[in-house]
Amino acid sequence: MRLLCAVLLLATPLAAQDGGTRSAGAGGRSRERLEGRVPAAALPAIDSIIATAVAESLPTEPLIQKALEGSAKGIPADRLVGGVRRGLLQLRDARIIVARAVPTQPPPEGHVAAVAGALARGLSPSIVERLLTVAPTESPGPALHAAADMVAHHFDPDSAAELLVEAHNKGVHGVRLFDVALAADHELQRRGGRTHADALARVRAMLPNVPPPAPTQPVTRHGTKGS
Amino acid sequence: MIADDRGGAMNPIDSRLQDALDGERDPAELPADLRDAYVRLITAARLLEVVPPTTVADRVMAEIRRSPAPTLSPARRAARWLSRPRAITFRLRPAWTLALAAGLAAILLIPSEPGTLNPGEAQGVARFVGHFPGARSVEVVGSFNDWSRGKLHLQDDDHDGVWDGAAVLPAGQHEYMFVVDGERWVADPLAGRYVDDGFGAGQQNSLLVVRPASGTP
Repeated sequence: MRLLCAVLLLATPLAAQDGGTRSAGAGGRSRERLEGRVPAAALPAIDSIIATAVAESLPTEPLIQKALEGSAKGIPADRLVGGVRRGLLQLRDARIIVARAVPTQPPPEGHVAAVAGALARGLSPSIVERLLTVAPTESPGPALHAAADMVAHHFDPDSAAELLVEAHNKGVHGVRLFDVALAADHELQRRGGRTHADALARVRAMLPNVPPPAPTQPVTRHGTKGS
Repeated sequence: MIADDRGGAMNPIDSRLQDALDGERDPAELPADLRDAYVRLITAARLLEVVPPTTVADRVMAEIRRSPAPTLSPARRAARWLSRPRAITFRLRPAWTLALAAGLAAILLIPSEPGTLNPGEAQGVARFVGHFPGARSVEVVGSFNDWSRGKLHLQDDDHDGVWDGAAVLPAGQHEYMFVVDGERWVADPLAGRYVDDGFGAGQQNSLLVVRPASGTP
């Protein structure tokens, strides 16, 4: 009985402090990863930015990565801090979009990070929100990257999003959405001078049977493969 | 020459005494002092000839056998057996030894084919290729290795300027750059996806989206 009381006495304050220690733990871990790599002149400011992200329940990993990246590249301290701060602003914008599109509260950190990445690739907030709304519980990364790939190949953003939404509604989910973007690009490159609109129309006609990715080939001398 | 207990030299043995000891002279013919010496030497020699009934080793082993053996628990005996140093003797035939060494060298030195990379369920294989004629080293640095140098080096075994390599990475989005000769940061011209690095100089990172090997999202 005495043992039970002792456990309860210890557990109560520990449980109450859980939120605080989680924040402090995240901050401590990030500092461990940054110390010795980030210039001392930039470290306090970056610590402060990461602490702000923790306090706002934003993902900190993209900020840590940005700080490590800038340090590895030898970016001067002021620009390094500026880059990390820009990352925080993107995460805030992303969270607003995710909060509008996804009913889950708080917004999943993975969604926020993926949306921030899509915004950095140049997708407009309206396109991002539209793609999020279609499958709010699925990981949004593949749909957002597929859309960004198509926009990078000069497809009309709204038309690209429309095709991806249609593909999703016809059962093409997750990483298979990359195959939709790839098929559109292949159609565009076929002989005959197809327009972007023609290419989208042909892919739409083949849904949901877009060609799967080619089997993994040995290392080639002609390209970098990842997706 | 015989050394005495003070470190000095003793006189050589008297030839008459030597003859008596060798049996070539009757000891009775010796003068009294030599005869005494003869008797002492003969007595000592006979004592040395007598073999003791048991050697020291025999007596020690017999004593050990007489003393009661300590009673140890099985666990203690096992621990003692495990902790006691033992000599292990390998008897190798040279032919087998050479074959074993060649096999180990092949495993350690021959680079594994990219196809042998075995990604887990939430991982995929990323392949990197870059054309950098004359480069001394090319490595890939990115978010998948915390932007750390020295973790993913590309190879150009045939020295044709085409550097390549592969790695198992977590599925998802990764930003990266090539670092050529340890100092020149270069975006992968074959990446197809790029994103501004955000540090205000307009530099772009290459973007890699790794699909999980399992094919699930």
